[in-house]
Amino acid sequence: MTTVDRTHTLDRATAEALIYREARLLDTLQLEEWLTLFTEDGLYWLPMEDGDIADAATTISIVYDDTDRRAERVFRTLHTPVLDQNPRSRTMHMVNNVELEGTDEHGDAKVLCNQIIGENRPGGDGQVGLNGTRVLLARCDYRLRATDSGWRISMKKLLLLNADQPIYNLTFLL
Amino acid sequence: MVAVPEPAYRSAYGDLVLDGSREFKLHTDIYTDRDVFDAEMRDIFESSWVYVAHESQVPASGDYKTTSIGSQPVIVSRHEDGQVYVLLNRCRHRGSVVCRDDLGHSNYFRCPYHNWSYANDGKLVGMAQASGYPDDFDKSQWGMRPAPGVHSYRGLIFACLGEHAPSFDEWFAPVRKYVDWWLDRSPLGTITVLPKPHKYPYPGNWKWQAENGHDGYHGNYVHESWQRVLERAGEDSVRDIRKYRTGGCTRGMKYGHGLLERPGGLNAAASWTGRMMAKYPEYASALAASFSPQEIEEISARRNIFVFPNLYLFDTQIRVIKPITYDSTEVQLFVYALDGVPDALNEGRYRAHERFYGPSGFGSPDDVEIFVCNQTGVRARGIEWALMSRGMHREVTNEDGEQVGHSTDETPVRALYREWKRLMSK
Repeated sequence: MTTVDRTHTLDRATAEALIYREARLLDTLQLEEWLTLFTEDGLYWLPMEDGDIADAATTISIVYDDTDRRAERVFRTLHTPVLDQNPRSRTMHMVNNVELEGTDEHGDAKVLCNQIIGENRPGGDGQVGLNGTRVLLARCDYRLRATDSGWRISMKKLLLLNADQPIYNLTFLL
Repeated sequence: MVAVPEPAYRSAYGDLVLDGSREFKLHTDIYTDRDVFDAEMRDIFESSWVYVAHESQVPASGDYKTTSIGSQPVIVSRHEDGQVYVLLNRCRHRGSVVCRDDLGHSNYFRCPYHNWSYANDGKLVGMAQASGYPDDFDKSQWGMRPAPGVHSYRGLIFACLGEHAPSFDEWFAPVRKYVDWWLDRSPLGTITVLPKPHKYPYPGNWKWQAENGHDGYHGNYVHESWQRVLERAGEDSVRDIRKYRTGGCTRGMKYGHGLLERPGGLNAAASWTGRMMAKYPEYASALAASFSPQEIEEISARRNIFVFPNLYLFDTQIRVIKPITYDSTEVQLFVYALDGVPDALNEGRYRAHERFYGPSGFGSPDDVEIFVCNQTGVRARGIEWALMSRGMHREVTNEDGEQVGHSTDETPVRALYREWKRLMSK
């Protein structure tokens, strides 16, 4: 492992390009490539309420995926006979309100944004639970780290506006 | 226009369950009919015992939790006398709710409309501009209505709005020992519910969830994806899981209770409790201090326990089924800590819970997918009856009066619908 260049500061265009690319990989179901966007210790986290990572030890989250669990989720989605993604969700991510917020205690760049995520599951005529389009709203907190292979995500925290409310099928990647 | 006569069964909804000697059948109006749903709310949920909250959600005087009994809003409230009251969430003046939060603490409940105020036990303590009422206005007659029946069993709070239900002890007796074993996985015999539950709605009837929680028949098909995930993780091969799934039994009980049971065991290979005892010696010694090896074997059996009509007790969660309309349901998974165990043990339980349950889990959403498939399918008519007779020819009745079936049999579902039939036949 070579030394990370901590002097390399993240500019807004680079941050946006990474998040847009992530959105495109999710929306085109290139999930195995999506996995490579994360650092080895990266976390993909959908908490039930706003809070610090340390809170996850004593609470439940909607999703709390380390590298193994993320790989498992992608495997499940793509390579197993899932019912809840058959038919699959179509998604569309819109990224807004991007702000660079300096660095966190690990030296990772902090990037905040809002996302609008549209989802639709197509199915036969009159099938209960299919065909409607949902709009999910999320406040996102990305932590990005400079690595030899470019900027990588060390954390993606996605706080849904309705995180502690009843949520139907959330088995696609957000 | 000629009046269409009401079908005969509408005069007695109990006839929608056919409890024959070789066949047990359900008329699918029970999933699609608004009038049946209204009758269920009145004659089941609002007439018999239902689960409302856990004591750890209202630990101190002034703490409250709002919820529903059937379609009626209630407040579970701990008064300064330390007692838990279950109060209809309705101002006696003009009918507004007096509390809109989910969970909280307050010294009194104040109606937002005209400031009528109630103590935590529901007593009316004052009205705004009270001079508009005569001096002899009897406030004691205008308190919030309490549920006639409230009973806490080892922290699980049940309430009953009906006047003619069996006593709590009578009603709970068939399932009590299993609930005891479930709680005794904590060396202190208690649990603490975490503040935020997982919740998922689905556009389908509440009984799909009630039937499925102790169904041991669907796992190999609905959860094949989960089996592949476990196999990939090196935890179990699909063949081993399928062998395991034929072990254990189902139990159907009086008053509609029932369960799915997988056998326990003291060693790490035999059960989750066994694995935790091996991993955390302090947990093993704490259990051994309180229980015999035979008791620990019972405690270590994994059971999905259904307490009719709205409660499931699972390894990681208290699951509450909330019917909304005939085709709309909300399920709430209250994950809990086992008290008196290492923190890491509970943290492992939370991560295991997230992996399978909740809106993004690798298991629950597959079940929900079936519920909506069912809700679509039962619109097809001219068939009318669903078959729930699996295992009738091989189940036995034990000395406790339980029906005991193969782990894939519909024994507990029949118990559920025998109670449904009893309550809906009045």
